[in-house]
Amino acid sequence: MGSDFYQQSILPFAGIIIKICRAYTHSQEDFEDYYQEVCLQIWRSRDNFNAESKWSTWIYKVALNVCLTHLKQRKKGEQQFVSDALPDEVHDDAKAFGSDELNLLYNAIKHLSEIDRAVILLYLEEKSYAEIGEIIGANTNSIGVRITRIKERLNKFIQAQE
Amino acid sequence: MSKSIEAMWKQGFVSEGELSAPKVNDLYNRKSQNIVDKLQNMFAVNIKAIVIGALVMLVVMSLIGAPWLGLYICVLLAPLVLIARKELTKSHNLSKGQSSLEYLESFDTWLKNSMDTYSKYYRFFYPLFYIGMVTQGLASNAGGKVMALLLKHYPTEYVLLEIPGYVWAVITVLFLLVVRYSEALYRLDLDIIYGRQFKKLEELITDMRALKAQ
Repeated sequence: MGSDFYQQSILPFAGIIIKICRAYTHSQEDFEDYYQEVCLQIWRSRDNFNAESKWSTWIYKVALNVCLTHLKQRKKGEQQFVSDALPDEVHDDAKAFGSDELNLLYNAIKHLSEIDRAVILLYLEEKSYAEIGEIIGANTNSIGVRITRIKERLNKFIQAQE
Repeated sequence: MSKSIEAMWKQGFVSEGELSAPKVNDLYNRKSQNIVDKLQNMFAVNIKAIVIGALVMLVVMSLIGAPWLGLYICVLLAPLVLIARKELTKSHNLSKGQSSLEYLESFDTWLKNSMDTYSKYYRFFYPLFYIGMVTQGLASNAGGKVMALLLKHYPTEYVLLEIPGYVWAVITVLFLLVVRYSEALYRLDLDIIYGRQFKKLEELITDMRALKAQ
């Protein structure tokens, strides 16, 4: 990957990738692998980007697809490059960033299903329902209800932890 | 709970500087090592499977009254095991002190050379295996009965070793086909077992070359 491409087209959006990858990984090693894989996929699929949506939306899509694909592969036992830690066992040794509250929230998010994780991450990133629908390929009408349900689950989890 | 999840999220990322991106440099190193490890493991398992298969064949053939054929197959497979072990050792001896791309390329070169070596072996293996099976078939009681039946229903004056000439003709044509397509058979066999991994290896090398060219 050209360093120019990385510097100009990925690095300014690194926060998006980091936030998503953190929600789908349970160790620092996995996190770094997923991050790098997302970057590579963005570079590989850069020609498929059409300017109809924002570049940041494209990055969300690629990041989520990479994370979901690798989780699926791992579940099938075809995992290629990350360690053998089970995805659904939350034992987060990823380098913590942000406040304790944020880490608590991440921990709660990791207990959600893969798709619910994507939905809530996009919601927290203040994406519109239409954009969330576009990114995850779901019906916009169902997003609101889904978010309410997810938030209830998160709140319950967080309350139980406090 | 004092804060909403929205507030927890927003305030948690107030300091964006904490979101430091990992370096993008090590993924291909791990990927290349993993695919090489996987193929080497598959080759090692394959060697064990051949040894076990040969022994099972010996036992089974002995039980069905064809111990010589079992032994013959074992003898035929013995060089394969030796070749495979030698080839696998070569792959382990490839220098790892190279860049990922160079390492993968040298592994790929080893793989192609190795496949050529196996091809040479299989050019003999398949025809000899075929001869062994046919000989056993014809020499067995069942084979003898079939030949007698054929001669009764389709008599011919061309008979050699109590086998009608047309059977010899079929056996010969099949033998020539096996000789002609033994390498293709080997490649097909290879493709079924390792095709997916070989494709991944190729894709990885192509990807890495493209990355390097950027």
